[in-house]
Amino acid sequence: MIEEPYRWVEAIANRREYIEAQLAPGSPIAAVGYRDGILFLTVSQTRQKLFEIYDRIAMGAIGHPGDIERLRMAAIELASTEGFTRSAADVSLRRLVHYSLSPVMKSAFEQVYGAPYLARMLFAEVGESPNEDLFLRVEYDGEIATNGATYAQARQDFAVLSGTRQSRELMEVFLKSQHAPDASFELALNSALDAWSVGHISLQASDANGQPDQAAVLKHRQEQLATSGIEAAVLERDAGTAIRYRSLSDTELRPLIHE
Amino acid sequence: MERSSVAFDQNFSGAADFPALLRSKGLLASAPMEAARPAVAPYQVAPGQQKSWQPTEATTILAFKFSGGVLVAGDRRATAGNTVVYDRADKVLEIDRHSIMAIAGVPATAWEMARVLEHSFQFFRRTQLQEMSVDGKVRALSKLLRDNFGFVMQGVGVVVPIFATYDSHPKPEARLYFYDAMGAQFEAADYAATGSGSPAVRGILYYENNWGGKPLHKLSEKEAVSVALRALDTAAESDTSTGGVDRGGKIYPIIKIVSREGITTLPESKIAAVFKETVA
Repeated sequence: MIEEPYRWVEAIANRREYIEAQLAPGSPIAAVGYRDGILFLTVSQTRQKLFEIYDRIAMGAIGHPGDIERLRMAAIELASTEGFTRSAADVSLRRLVHYSLSPVMKSAFEQVYGAPYLARMLFAEVGESPNEDLFLRVEYDGEIATNGATYAQARQDFAVLSGTRQSRELMEVFLKSQHAPDASFELALNSALDAWSVGHISLQASDANGQPDQAAVLKHRQEQLATSGIEAAVLERDAGTAIRYRSLSDTELRPLIHE
Repeated sequence: MERSSVAFDQNFSGAADFPALLRSKGLLASAPMEAARPAVAPYQVAPGQQKSWQPTEATTILAFKFSGGVLVAGDRRATAGNTVVYDRADKVLEIDRHSIMAIAGVPATAWEMARVLEHSFQFFRRTQLQEMSVDGKVRALSKLLRDNFGFVMQGVGVVVPIFATYDSHPKPEARLYFYDAMGAQFEAADYAATGSGSPAVRGILYYENNWGGKPLHKLSEKEAVSVALRALDTAAESDTSTGGVDRGGKIYPIIKIVSREGITTLPESKIAAVFKETVA
């Protein structure tokens, strides 16, 4: 099958199409920076989507649970080993993703006789100040998208992940206009939840390709929250301890939601 | 694939055991079993020759339960033979939010062990998405000691720790354990002491618990600190390896308290005040 180059390209294209279809229903995840840290949020129906990787690093993922688990375990093993042999300060999300996860995901994706990783991941690392926060999205083919932290371009203090490209882009447009940097936790929570709704509306009605209006977002959010729970976690900027990750319960967040 | 410390291991273990992961990467030394069996086995030595290795546990560590949880105290002196090498050593180490490991023994091994333990608990919690049970934590330290015994038999790296933690299941209570160099664990009902100065301390704690003003578990924080300081000072009186309280240099022992809320390190000013009032 792959003796001829164009066959290989074809095989890769098929595989991409297959994976995209598998990931398409994945519920969006929003990560937004706020004054005191980074908030990860999704509304989940079933299994856990947000995880702690190391002291200052968190991960959100959609895809096949088995693949997410393998990548999550590998990331924790790498970070823990580095943190043990050197120090917690030497554990860096940039190195973890660029040198370890991405190359492996790329080669798994391109070796057409083997199975690719059916997963799309969003990582964040909380810095000493908001402009040191790093967000990285890693695709099933090893592609990495950043918030501009590693290149000389406008930085965003948020990142999102969703099942489809259209959904993701709508969420990004929404957060670009709605999310204020240096916001309070409550404001960040509400904009993250609205961004999730924007992304989720797009996933449910693929023909609606415009930005939904405020009323539609509110309605959708209320409908979804009536049946599903908020899954959220924060990476606190100054927690007074080495471990900055803290998961938040649905019940402590509900009173902070603006109706 | 090129291997570096951040190389992705495609056959990664997925196991919950962090020391095993370190060993698989060659990052944690274990003494070969051959070396663990010296040419003359210690149990078959000629009569009159006691041991083929000399335990070096030159320090004093004590811990006891009081009304506010468990108090763990350690002197600050680090020695090499007859020489004092450091007078500000910290031998009472925080492992996680509710656990303290206090060490007597070879510092290099003990601090490494504390690092392994700290990472093991975090690693377990992160990978398995649940906190390790207190029994699991106690056992993890026991296993590290057992794995280290090869080095102990070679005459290096003996560690005899105390482990204090707070258990929320099945009922909230402070738990205190002490170990021997081979890794046997013993749960202490009231108090534990280890290190070269421990015989004196054990005597004092036994006396206080039975015939003192009130039993140890009823002491207030201030009373508990006072007992700990007196005990360490007594140990230092006869044991050269124990620093006790350095009145001239104003160096006080490290005292930490484990309670339901977590770990509190007593500020030096507070210890100094109690010392001035009840000990000096």
